[in-house]
Parts: sequence; structure tokens; C-alpha cells
Amino acid sequence: MRNLTRDEAVWRFVGYSFVLLVTLLMIVPIYWIVVASTLPEQVFLSGGSDLQLLPGTNFLANLDALQAREGVDFIGSIWNSVFIAVVYTLLSLVLCSMGGFAFAKYDFRFKEPIFYSILATLTLPIQLLVIPLFLLISQMGLTNSYWAIILPWAANPLGIFLMRQNMKQIPDALLESARIDGATEFQLYYRIALPTMKSSLAALAIVLFLFQWNLFLFPLVVLEQGKYTIPVAINELVGAQRVYYDQIMVAAALSIIPLFLVFLFLQRHFVSGILAGSVKE
Amino acid sequence: MSTQSSNPIRVALDAVRTRVGRAVAPVWRSVIDAVRPLRQRQIRRTRAVAERVPFSVGVPYLFLSPFFILFSAFLAFPILYTVFLSFHRYQGVGSATLLWIDLGPVQFELTRIAQLEFVGLQNYQRLLGDALFQNALANTTFILLVQVPLMIVLGLALALALNASWMRFKGLFRTTIALPVAANLVAYTTVFLLLLQDNGLVNSVFGMVGLPAVPWLTGGTELLPGPLKSILGPGFWPRISLVGAVTWRWTGYNMIILLAGLQSVPKQLYEAAEIDGANRWEKFRYVTLPQLRPVLLFVVVTSTIGTFRLFSEPLIISEGGATLSATRTLVVYIYNIAFQQFQLGYASAMTVVLVGIVAVLSIVQLRVGGESDA
Amino acid sequence: MARINLDTVRKEFSDDGRTIVAVEDLDLTIRDGEFLVLVGPSGCGKTTTLRSVAGLEEVTSGTITFGEADVTDLRARDRDVAMVFQNYALYPHMNVGRNIGFGLRLSTDFDSDEIDQRVQDAAEMLGIEDLLGKKPKALSGGQQQRVALGRAIVRDPEVFLMDEPLSNLDAKLRAQMRTELQELQHELDVTTVYVTHDQTEAMAMGDRIAIMDDGELQQVGTAEAVYRSPANEFVANFIGSPSINLLTATVEGDRLTGPGGFSYRLADPAPVAGYDRVRAGIRPEDMTLVEDGIEAAVTVVEQMGNENFCYMELGDVDLTARIDASLRPSPDEVVEFGFEETALYLFDPETGESLKTMTDETDVSIQDYVTQAE
Repeated sequence: MRNLTRDEAVWRFVGYSFVLLVTLLMIVPIYWIVVASTLPEQVFLSGGSDLQLLPGTNFLANLDALQAREGVDFIGSIWNSVFIAVVYTLLSLVLCSMGGFAFAKYDFRFKEPIFYSILATLTLPIQLLVIPLFLLISQMGLTNSYWAIILPWAANPLGIFLMRQNMKQIPDALLESARIDGATEFQLYYRIALPTMKSSLAALAIVLFLFQWNLFLFPLVVLEQGKYTIPVAINELVGAQRVYYDQIMVAAALSIIPLFLVFLFLQRHFVSGILAGSVKE
Repeated sequence: MSTQSSNPIRVALDAVRTRVGRAVAPVWRSVIDAVRPLRQRQIRRTRAVAERVPFSVGVPYLFLSPFFILFSAFLAFPILYTVFLSFHRYQGVGSATLLWIDLGPVQFELTRIAQLEFVGLQNYQRLLGDALFQNALANTTFILLVQVPLMIVLGLALALALNASWMRFKGLFRTTIALPVAANLVAYTTVFLLLLQDNGLVNSVFGMVGLPAVPWLTGGTELLPGPLKSILGPGFWPRISLVGAVTWRWTGYNMIILLAGLQSVPKQLYEAAEIDGANRWEKFRYVTLPQLRPVLLFVVVTSTIGTFRLFSEPLIISEGGATLSATRTLVVYIYNIAFQQFQLGYASAMTVVLVGIVAVLSIVQLRVGGESDA
Repeated sequence: MARINLDTVRKEFSDDGRTIVAVEDLDLTIRDGEFLVLVGPSGCGKTTTLRSVAGLEEVTSGTITFGEADVTDLRARDRDVAMVFQNYALYPHMNVGRNIGFGLRLSTDFDSDEIDQRVQDAAEMLGIEDLLGKKPKALSGGQQQRVALGRAIVRDPEVFLMDEPLSNLDAKLRAQMRTELQELQHELDVTTVYVTHDQTEAMAMGDRIAIMDDGELQQVGTAEAVYRSPANEFVANFIGSPSINLLTATVEGDRLTGPGGFSYRLADPAPVAGYDRVRAGIRPEDMTLVEDGIEAAVTVVEQMGNENFCYMELGDVDLTARIDASLRPSPDEVVEFGFEETALYLFDPETGESLKTMTDETDVSIQDYVTQAE
């Protein structure tokens, strides 16, 4: 075996150092959430040599203090966020998969114009449409309700686009033979298309869930006490008269750590969700 | 044939039904005629099947309609309405009736959603002279020019490193670096707020290694060398903090995309280049970059669009103490105008301008980046 | 231009802890200016050997020399080789002219005029001078292959390597390119190593053929030598189309008896002395239908126009004979076949080594041929 040339050895050293450094930097904030949520505020904010770097045992105490605050029911906001995100994801999956199925496997008049107009909206940052949405939602009397957050982006153009792309790959012969066997069109969708698309659906589900989970502007505008989602609740804590970082960190930990664990287990789907949007371009 | 009934309601309904049917029939017939060639093509395509294929024309529309209804109401309509709004001044929630349909037992009232006064281009003119808008534009541009290149170079370097044949533990590194992707935008910003406090972790570590404490959130141009002070302007440190946070959050995401792009470069091209005498840099320049161009372009365009959408991080950071004038991005300002001052017309005009800027930038990038390659 | 020497070359791959030996202790000398074909079934190690000569694979042990220089530790770009890949590996974003000239630009000091001239010359030699401005994806498979060739020849290397360059072409083009390649190689007089899995190609093209199986070199020799004097049963079976007929026979003195009533009396029983069993082989072209021969039942007769292939069953063994086009036995008919003793091959039933071949010499060790022909 040939030994490494000096040049190659240097590159490998640089490469590893670089990657290790970045990995470390990525971990620091996450680690700090854990530490800060388990210590009383004075301890991790004292600066200087008193700084403790290891997690403590104050988590529950901080959590109690958090819950005790008037005006913010954090545990409740977790429930709200989860509920909204789950319902949104399911609803959007249904809408996008049905719509994607229609575009992929059927020909109908107006198919092209409708599809291209949906596609056109992909280029827009759709969260910027909050102003008319706000008016619309107010008019419909849906302010401060879960539906105000769930409905507006349920018809997600990216979602329907991805579903169409993926569904196009279902062999037509499969559907035709099912038709001959007497299946209704809906059964084709439900019993053939959907099961074949499991991994795409999973990837899209993650994309949708994360999208909804991170929504901040619109919930901020439209929701009030009691129906807060996590971002809005945390926002309250940060903007309060007196800022308690230990409580904020507890809130941050509760909203971030579980998702990290999900990420670790469902990595493959996360990655395919990220890549799904980029393949076309 | 139903038996004759003396029920007046039924008689009335029958009458309506026949009349409606007679009126609608020609329309329905022409629809069928228009669709027939389509349908015939469909049947021919599914080949001659002995049994009649149960296929009705309306099916795809049925599948599509839930999506389409929500899309039209909550996406298409708002787009149009934003433009419409930008030429008006908002005066209050609407109550005046726009449309009223009376079908006897069923009534349907469509009210105006807002009371508006037409003001033409006034909102746009106001934009031109709005100092706060210019401030927001400057902040956003700063982030665009600093954060996006930084993140892409970082992401590319990481992707190259993780793609190297000699790198071990690739999966582990990839997972860890991509982990921030799952972090809630608001939540992770609070951590950065904490880390970057004057007595936070970062400054403490700096102190331990002898570096001065940096005023991350409230700083101006302290600690910068003289000549740079005027170029980088006031509010440098808060902007850098924002750049740092966003880079932390999104580098892994872009790295994954770039890594996938790298992995799709055919290995034999590198071998051919090796045989042709290419060294490391030449291989990168003549094989990697050209092959990667579409992916790079995608990353650049999406990152640019993402920059103009920044809202959660700047808002949280400024609420947590960072200098507002340094972290006010365009969307933050729109939010202020729209939902704190309720000047919806003006905010709509700003939104239109924002979308316009993004569109122009994207087109320019696509033009420049996508040349040749027929 | 150089003589290539592979000395005890061994290449191992480790796959999840298991070690796979792709090339096992290979000794091979390729003469200056020779066209050597490396042939064998999939996975035999021929491509690995080629890539080791190229420098794209590092050998586990052994040495490779070009002329006097030991290149074992040199990477591909430091060896003076050029290679044509199976799927051409053309740089997609460069036009044909730049593709061809790329290696020159990187590894020589020629100015661009000189390079352009050489590119032009190479293109004319291959008949592609009209394509210089086009991109690879606008070309047909055959044209792309010529570009790949052009890229290789323009560099005037010491060693020319080709990895199954014709396998992606259709049959007609393949036959045409076969002759063109040979002409080209003679004109350029470059030491060439050519890998293929197609034994017909190997027989037609090489000055010498090197046959490999399962990582081991079986035999090196001219086409005639490997055909008439295969070193072992594998070579006899691999070379020749349709393949040689093989059966196991019991030896009783000077008589061989085999399945289906096969019985043959050896005029010269010396090769089988000491054996009670032996493997016997007769090539289809050496079998004739005779009176008073060995009986076999016909299964299928394929009419090829100029001759017929007669497939027969002898006990549990299938036989093939190439017979005159005028003879057309019907299926299930019993025919009698015979052959000359000089055309009979005999092999050791355990090792497969040849005991008797077509030529007078029965000892055909590799070393003899290497030293003899020098």
C-alpha cells in the first residue's frame, strides 16, 4: 500500500478538523438549551469563572415557575401546536395527494392552466399573504380558532406538486387493471396510489409538519390567549417585562428536543423531504 | 314514473326541476360534446375493453376540488387582493354587503371584507420616502450579502468534505450538522439570545481565552478596526448575530442538498480528469462545479428567497434586547405597519414591492447562473 | 511507448470485513507497441487489472513498470496513460474540441494554437472534425466514442487503455469500429491494453490475448495459440463460438468411454496414461456427420445460411456440431458423428489442465510463450 503523500495527509487533517469544528458549533446551542433549562437563571448567566457547564436538576422547578406565570399557559400551547400541526398535516396530505393524483393520472379540461397557475404560486413566499388572509379570517369569524391556522395553507402548492411528480411514476397499467376489476376511482386512489406512495407521503408529511410547526407571523396576529401556539407563547415570554431565561429555556427545550429525537429516528424521511423540492430544479 | 302526488311542494319542486333541466340541458350537452373527444381518447388509450369502463368525466374534478377550493380562497384570492389592497387605504373591517343570493330556503351573503378608500399610487409614493422602509431594506440586504454566501460556501465545503472517500463517520457528521433543521424558529432564536447576552456563554468563553466581550445584541461598531467602521455602519454586531443564528439554522439543510448534488456527479468523470492530468483544484473547477451548477443555483435562489422572508428570528431578537434598527427586516416592518398600526393598504404595497424584488432577483440569478446549457 | 510489466500484482478489496481478491498474483508482460486484449467473464478481474495499470486502483502488492520506470506508487495523472471508458466519460459542459484538448491543456506546456492544431489532427484522423463545436449530448453513441478516442490519442501517451469501449454500440457499428480501432492502433503504434468480455472481439483484435478467470491469469498467447493450445479447460471453453463440446470419459487403456454410448479408441494413449477418468473436448467445427460413427439424437437444427448448427444429445450431455448447410437432419433423428484425433482435446478431470491439445506441443505454460516470442 502506498503511503499518504504529505499533501494528502494535510488535506485529511484540515478536512477532519473543519468538520469536527462545525459539528461542535452545531451542538453548542442544543447543549446549552439542555443546560440552561436545568439550572436556575443566576447560575448560567453570571458570566466569568462561576459559569457552570453541566446540566443541573432544576428542570422541574423551572417548569413549575413557567406554568405559574399568568398570561402564558405553556403546556397548553404545546397541546395547541401539536393539535394544529397534526390536523394540518393530515388535512394537507389528503388534499395534496388527491389533487396530485388527479393531475398525475387523469386528463381533463383546464388541467394545464390550473396546474400552471398553482405552480406559479410556488415562486411566491406564501406567508406574505397574511394581510388579506387576516381580513378573510376575520370576516369568516374564525379569529382565534384552530381553523384560522389550519385552513389557509392546507392547499400547499409545493405539496401538490410533489405528489403529482411522485404519482406520475405509478404504472398506468396498475390502475387500468384495477378498473377492469371493477374498482371505483376513489378505490384506485385509496387502495393503490396511496399505499405505493408511503415514503413520499412520509417525506411530505414531515415537510408539512415542520412548516406548520414553525409558523409564527400569522398565529401571532390571529391567535389570542388560550389558543397560543408554541412560537407565540415563547414570544410572550421574551417580550415580557421581566425576562426569565431559565423558564424560556424550558419552553425552548420542550419544543425543540422532541423534534430532534424524531429527526434522529426519521432521518431518512427528513432528508428525502429536503431533497424532494430540489430535484426538479 | 312516480305516482302523482298532490303535495304542493313536490309539485313545485318538480316544476322547478323540469324547467331548470330544460334550461341546463343544452349547456350540459355542449359540455359533453366538448369533452367527448377527450373521453374517446381516454377509452382508446385504455384499449378495447369488453366491459364498459366505469369512468365518469367529473372524477378528476372531484379529486381536485377540495384542494382547489381552499387554494382559490386562501392563496389565489389573497394574492390578487394584496395587489388590489395596495391601491387603497384601509379604513376598517367590512360589513357592507357585496353580494346577496336568495334561493328561498337558503340565503347567502357575501360581505366585503374591508372598507376601503381608493388612493391610487399614494402608498407606493410613500414607500419611496419612508426612512424606516429604507432601514429595513438595508438590514435585509446586509443579511443577503453576508449570510447567503457564507452559508453556501460553508455548506459546499462541508458537502465536499463529507463526500470525500477517506472521510469516516459520514453518517454521524451529516446527522449532527443537519440537526438544526428540526429546530423551531422561535425557540432556537431564544437560545441564541441567551448565548449572546453580554454575560452569556459566548462572551464568557471569550473572556476565558482572552478575547474582549462583544456587544452582540446592542453593539454598534465597537471593536472594529477604524476603516471598517464607516463601511459596516452602525448596528454591526446585532446584524452579525442574526447572520450567525440563521447560518446555524440553515447550513445543514443546504449541505444536504449540495451533498446529494455532489453524489450525483459520475465518478468516471473524475477518473477521466485524473487521467488527463487534473489536480485537485482542476478537478473541482472542471468537473465538480459544472456538474453542480444547477444545484448550486437552486440553493442560491432558495436562500435568497428565504432571506427576504426572515421574520421570526429578527422579531424575537429585537424583543429580547437587540437593537431594533439593526434587526428590522422587511417582513418585520410589514408586520409592524400591518398589525400594529393597521395600515393594511400601505403594508400591502410593501408586500407587493417585496415580492417584486424577490422575483427580479430570482430571475436575474436564474439568467446569470443558467446560461449556456441549452 | 513502453513495455508494461506486471509482476506478482495482487489487488484485494475489503467489503464489510471480508476480503475479496480481485486480481491474484498476476504476472504479465505487454510488449512495446503490442495490442493486448484482456478477456474473461464478468468479475474475472480484467477491469481491475486495467485500472491498476492506469493508476486508478492501488495494488495491494506487486509492481507495475512502464519500461524502466516503476510506476506502482504513482497516481494516474503522473503516469503517462490515456484511457477510453466504457461510457466515454466525456465532460458534458465542454464541446468536443475542448474535451479532446483538455488533457493537453492540463498536462503540457503547449500554447493554445499548438493544442488546437493537435486537436484538429486527431479529429481528422477519426473523422469528427465537423463536430468540434458541439456538446457531447448532441452526439450519437458512435460519435461520442470517437471523441473519447480522440481525447486519448491526442495526448500521445506511453500506454493506451480501453475499457470495453465497444459494448455500448449496436452490432453493426461495433464491427465497423473494431477494424477502425485496429487500424488506428497500428498507425499510432502505441502499447495498448484492451478489456472486453466478448471473446470474438478478443480473437479478432489482439496481437495477443490474455484470458482471466476469477482473478487469475489463465493463459496469454496469440489467438491461434489459445484456440489450438488452450492451457486448461476453462480457456478451451471460453474461446470459440459455439463453445467446445465437453464430456467426462472413463479411461480403459486406449479406449475412452463416455455418456450415451460414447466410445473412442485413442491412437496415442500416452496423454491419458495414469488416469482412470479424463475430460474430453471436441470443437463443434471439428465434428462431422459420418457413417459408422458415434450415435447421438438430434434435438434442434439451426440453419445459419452458410452452415447449420446441429444440436444433439448424447446421454445426459448436449453436443453441438457445425455441419454443411446441405445437411438437415430432423429432430429426434439419430445421427452418427466423428472427429479427427488431432482435434480431440483432453483435460485433467481434477485441475482442468490440458493433457492434449490440437498442436503438437502439449505443454503450454505461460512462461514458455512469453519467453519464446520475445
